[in-house]
Amino acid sequence: MRDTWVIAKRELTERIRSKWFIVMTILWPILMVGMIVVPALLGGQGTAGAKVAIVDHSKSNVGTQLQFNVAITLKWDAKIISPDSDLKELRKKIKTGELNGYVVIPEDAIDGGEIVYTGDNASNQTVTIFFTQAANGAVIAKRGEEMGLDAAKLIKLNLPVKVSVRHSTGEEEEAKSGIATFLLGYMIAFLIYMMITLYGINVMRSVVTEKSSRVVELLVAATKPNAMMSGKILGVGSAGLLQILIWFLLGAVAITFRGSILSLVGASSASAGSFMPSLTITQLAVVMTCFVLGYLFYSAMYAAVGAMVSSEQDSQQAQMPVTFLLIIGIIAITAVTNDPRGQTATIMTMVPFWSPMLMPMRYFLGGASLTQVGISLAILALSTVLVARAAAKIYRVGILMYGKRPSIREVVRWLRH
Amino acid sequence: MSGPALSVSSVIKRFGNHLAVDHVSFEVPRGVVYGILGPNGAGKSTTLRMINDIIAPDSGTIKILDGLPPGTEAARQIGYLPEERGLYPKMRVIDMVVFMGELRGLSGAESKKRAAMWLDRLGLGAWTKNKVQDLSKGMQQKVQFATALIHEPPLLILDEPWSGLDPINAEVLREVVEEVRSQGRTVLFSTHQMEQAEKICDVVCIIARGKKVLEGKLRDIKRESAAEGVIALGFSDEASKEKAAGPLEDTKLVVDRRPPRPGEHADCEVILADGVTPHQLLATLLNHDVNLRLFEVVVPTLHQIFVQKVGAAAAVAERRAEDEEKSVA
Repeated sequence: MRDTWVIAKRELTERIRSKWFIVMTILWPILMVGMIVVPALLGGQGTAGAKVAIVDHSKSNVGTQLQFNVAITLKWDAKIISPDSDLKELRKKIKTGELNGYVVIPEDAIDGGEIVYTGDNASNQTVTIFFTQAANGAVIAKRGEEMGLDAAKLIKLNLPVKVSVRHSTGEEEEAKSGIATFLLGYMIAFLIYMMITLYGINVMRSVVTEKSSRVVELLVAATKPNAMMSGKILGVGSAGLLQILIWFLLGAVAITFRGSILSLVGASSASAGSFMPSLTITQLAVVMTCFVLGYLFYSAMYAAVGAMVSSEQDSQQAQMPVTFLLIIGIIAITAVTNDPRGQTATIMTMVPFWSPMLMPMRYFLGGASLTQVGISLAILALSTVLVARAAAKIYRVGILMYGKRPSIREVVRWLRH
Repeated sequence: MSGPALSVSSVIKRFGNHLAVDHVSFEVPRGVVYGILGPNGAGKSTTLRMINDIIAPDSGTIKILDGLPPGTEAARQIGYLPEERGLYPKMRVIDMVVFMGELRGLSGAESKKRAAMWLDRLGLGAWTKNKVQDLSKGMQQKVQFATALIHEPPLLILDEPWSGLDPINAEVLREVVEEVRSQGRTVLFSTHQMEQAEKICDVVCIIARGKKVLEGKLRDIKRESAAEGVIALGFSDEASKEKAAGPLEDTKLVVDRRPPRPGEHADCEVILADGVTPHQLLATLLNHDVNLRLFEVVVPTLHQIFVQKVGAAAAVAERRAEDEEKSVA
């Protein structure tokens, strides 16, 4: 036990001191904040002031209404030009920068004809959304006019329809926005996947380094292989856990002061999206348990793989089966989000290979009760013990083997020993 | 302090079809410097690795200090320099040594204190904050000595400690070994470099092809070999050389004559007939008015004894290995 602690302490301090750890810990949250701030900035600025020509073939002046609408929503500077304008000429003007785009309104616009916007800013998401709204509004207004509605009725007709899709599993608590719950679950699943892969492979590479630098001889003489493996896994894992905790803490700070951060860079907090994930204590506990157990489960496998190979290149190949298992879990995410209570989700979140990533998500989406989470974690914990034992047997023999990679048959013999 | 520091009895180790260690038994008394000598592939490292519990013997027993089997408890009492030198390349020198000290049972604070002391002692005081990989091979080897010495073990095991060391560092190592012995602790090492072994060993054990060939106190072994009666002669002048020709051809006195070994100052070497003492030869030569500048009872070097015991074939292999080492260094 004491040796395990000494080794874990070394692994942890060496990692925390490394540039890689410090850069990752700081850079990642900056990246995350960037992902919130940058779209807000871009979305807000968008395409204001764009010069747009409207070619109106309709009889009912849809163009005038559209010109008014895009001026308000997109802040576009739109001009109605002759219906006989040559589209080739307009395209040339886009090329020279004289125009940003043009709208063609067909004759039967209010009877279902397609209004087409062509422009150099059309790839912008906000253009698609707001132009669609503006065109919709224009056509509906003209239809109302045609039906003989007065101005007051027209305004009423054009009042925006507010819609929101909320996620609920029948719990008492207030239902949350569906997209927020989905995003939160997705982010957590991906974070756990990323951390298990990152730190699991770190364990493997560290074992390979010990072998290739031959320091393993010194260690085996001083202590037991079991202590070496458990110490390494615990030490590397503590570094991972520490990193996650730092991130969560930074994340909590960032979310709390979201408004001020956004206003600091001159973006309105509203444009960052109204959904902002938040975690309850229970959810946080589930996430952390899943990460810890999942990491132990996979890192034991990675340690065994590291012990089986003699060089870094060999390890790249040998790790594939383990990494592949993890990737299946990531692929299965949609199966859980589409139907959190379904059979596929239930099975996938009980199998220890994938439960660490998928269970928190299914739980967040209300697909699993805390009891089910508990059962899944118990299965995971038990499997971890079994996998760790098998891995220790491979590790013990493998770390002193050099040269050719052992065959499956040899590994089976080590396991029986 | 009773009983041997180490006893190995009838140990066998097989790798596949190859018998690496074949019924090897020896005992290392406390407080001596004990050298296991043998050509490459003789089974020296395998034996030392079994004592360090890195691999298990197929049969036979190993008892360390007060009868401990190889394992964690015994490991606290042993300092070990493996043949395959290895350190964490990215670790700071001081941290590396402290880590090994802690692993061998020292507390963190004690380990820090002693690591600094030993690194200083080995001339690495200015490098403690550097990464291991920034050091030269020879310096890294000294860091390894520090990891073996830090917990001041009663039994120090060094596998080929001189390989890759320059003469100055070889001297530093020899001083450390002498010091360890003077403190009543035991040193066990393996080598194929006979000159080094000859300078420092109290007891030697020669093994070849997995088998023990010879074991005993170095002094006794050399004395026995010297008794075989080889005398090196050096004459003061040509006249004396001619005067000596007569008595040296007397087969009752001398059975064989041969040219001196290269590098020696003698003119020739003679092998005395059975029952003839060196004194008798000297008296005869003086009676013939021979002026001698050299009369020496030839004590064979450990190298010669080794060659004789292990056999010419093994010796060739050994010399080649030594040459390789020199060209690498």
